[in-house]
Amino acid sequence: MNTIIEFKHARKSYGDHVVIPDLNLKIEKGEFVTLIGSSGSGKTTILKMINGLIPLDAGNVYVEGKDIASEDLICLRRNIGYAIQGSGLFPHMDVEDNIAYVPNLLNKKDKQRTRKAVEKWIQVVGLERDLLDRYPDELSGGQQQRVGIARALAASPEILLMDEPFGAVDDITRHMLQDEIKRIHEQTGVTIVFVTHDIREALKLGTKVIVLEHGEIAQYDTPEAIQQAPANDYVKQLISDK
Amino acid sequence: MDFIIDVLTLLHDRADFFLNLVFQHLQISLIAILIATILGLLLGIWISEHQKSSNLVIGIVNFIYTIPSISLLGFLIPFSGIGNTTVIIALVVYALLPMVRNTHTGITNINPAIIEAAKGMGSTKMQILWKIKLPLALPTIMSGFRNMVVMTIALTGIASFIGAGGLGVAIYRGITTNNAVMTFAGSLLIALLAFFMDFIFGRLEKALTARRPNAKRKVFVEIASAAIVVLLVFAMLFSNLFGKTDKVIHLATKPMTEQMIIGEALKMIIEQESDLTVEITEGVGGGTSNIQPAMEKGEFDIYPEYTGTGWNAVLKEKSIYHESMFKELQDKYKEAYDFSWVSGYGFNNTYGIAVAKDIAQAYNIKTYSDLAKYTPQLTFGAEYDFYEREDGYEALQSAYAFNFKETVDLDIGLKYQSIQQGDVDVIVVFTTDGQLNDDRIVVLEDDKNFFPSYMAYNVVRNETLTKYPELKEILDQLENKISDSTMARLNYEVEVNKKEPKQVAKEFLDELGLLKE
Repeated sequence: MNTIIEFKHARKSYGDHVVIPDLNLKIEKGEFVTLIGSSGSGKTTILKMINGLIPLDAGNVYVEGKDIASEDLICLRRNIGYAIQGSGLFPHMDVEDNIAYVPNLLNKKDKQRTRKAVEKWIQVVGLERDLLDRYPDELSGGQQQRVGIARALAASPEILLMDEPFGAVDDITRHMLQDEIKRIHEQTGVTIVFVTHDIREALKLGTKVIVLEHGEIAQYDTPEAIQQAPANDYVKQLISDK
Repeated sequence: MDFIIDVLTLLHDRADFFLNLVFQHLQISLIAILIATILGLLLGIWISEHQKSSNLVIGIVNFIYTIPSISLLGFLIPFSGIGNTTVIIALVVYALLPMVRNTHTGITNINPAIIEAAKGMGSTKMQILWKIKLPLALPTIMSGFRNMVVMTIALTGIASFIGAGGLGVAIYRGITTNNAVMTFAGSLLIALLAFFMDFIFGRLEKALTARRPNAKRKVFVEIASAAIVVLLVFAMLFSNLFGKTDKVIHLATKPMTEQMIIGEALKMIIEQESDLTVEITEGVGGGTSNIQPAMEKGEFDIYPEYTGTGWNAVLKEKSIYHESMFKELQDKYKEAYDFSWVSGYGFNNTYGIAVAKDIAQAYNIKTYSDLAKYTPQLTFGAEYDFYEREDGYEALQSAYAFNFKETVDLDIGLKYQSIQQGDVDVIVVFTTDGQLNDDRIVVLEDDKNFFPSYMAYNVVRNETLTKYPELKEILDQLENKISDSTMARLNYEVEVNKKEPKQVAKEFLDELGLLKE
């Protein structure tokens, strides 16, 4: 197996409050890893450590074998897709410019290539081309999320980080989006790290699930294994909420 | 209705004059707007990135904003002198607040999730600023900007107070020469200019922030931007705002009608008799207190001044000046400043006491001593600072044993109206007041020489007299040519008959036979 993301003795605290005491974790290429835990368990912190949005107090994070502490973070982030809750679309740009954002940062000159990428990804996320000149506030919540995913994937990154991307949409839309992201994962083979507080979502989407408890990994396994053999009471409690 | 017709007639008749002022006004305000926009944006952006400094910086610009413009100008004059530089600095300083505050508010009110998304996708700080922060803050910045533009154009009206150009010249000249039509015309043009610029920038803003800009709007943006750029370049290129050319005499006048007339007369005669060019800085606000420092710096070469003022206000002597002390005045000026008093005009603009003619005749009052006998039956009016001055009301009262029935504070502009209407019987006047040219009023004789002497001369830098030796002789042509009553009559022509100071000066020189055609 091929490790694409690795944490070694990663530690993070805010003042006296230790969020991540000592994290060791390997994520294999092509996995769809869901990170689940109660709020304050450190899941978003772990996610943001991968693209360097949150610096470590101690320890290392490796992406594709390289310690990100010695990497150019700007360059690193351009090659990691990032989608957040509420889509985080830029309200002053139309759909096309939103999706083209990272490709434009990467290759300013090659308009043709950017245009192709935009057309490809709008289709991959299941949206009509005539939405391209709409603005975010002219889209439904579900459409916004899809654009958010297309934007995160537009530069064809190896890794896609998603921070509770479907937290703000209704149940029906969420189910559709879940099916969509699962299909996209299978179709593209991109490695996904997906933060959620919904255990059903974590189990449904993940090829691997990480259960976090106070910044430490309670269990890291396939959804089936977690359901059959919960590692402790906390995990048991969590899956019983399902 | 008549008033509006008067305003329109004036604007029509003096279109060149007003057009020139509009152009100067635009020059000054656009340069200030440009500088304030750049500085304000930079400062606003900087404090948004360095939040810790924002309270301090906004506190400072807030504080500066509350300083009254007149005192800010007064404060700046010692550093940057009289004229456009000071005005532009003051305008920029005021314009900073709306720019800085709105830029800061616009940027800091952006949803942090959007900025984090941009950061997480690998934008550099500059890319976040240009692609995300500034476009999203644009509506807030634009509203601050448009506010600032209107404010700056309006505030440029004070420029003339310290000898810069612009439409304030018309307002200020109107106030000084008692010409409400002129004042209103200047104000109206400022309002129209502000309104017009706001309209243009409003359209520009709409076009800039429009979604799916159509071709028409794009064209508008291009035309408007081009027009603004052209206007600015034009303003910069053709501005002799900061430059000084050779062979120029810089002449200042105080904000008084007679000074304006004398200034125009001097310009005409100097330019006629020599190859010198005279640049008049008309009606410098604050008069002597702002002209004197500029004379010392060499920004002005010459200005008409009164002996008593030079003695008390410039030399800061405590004693009362009389003409017997002229040599001492001349010597002290040479020693302290290397200036000379040359070519006295012959009139004495001092305080005087005027009485309604019917009262003067009824009691046969000719002198102050005559007046003293009847004071218990009479009401006395003066502008309020006459009551405050050391050589003012109290000193006068004890010198002549006056004992008026009542004393009234009068606005300087309403004095003559009050005596004509019989509200007061006796007023304090200046001996060259235009409105003294009125047979309902009699000026009495100061038989004990109570009031100090204020003979009008030219104060000239000796350096200038040496550099242009022909100047002295030209100035001498006007020596002793203007008596108190002549000056009052010329003032009357401007203040009551609404003639232009320049016109009056020309007619007067013509009378004297000094004009060559």
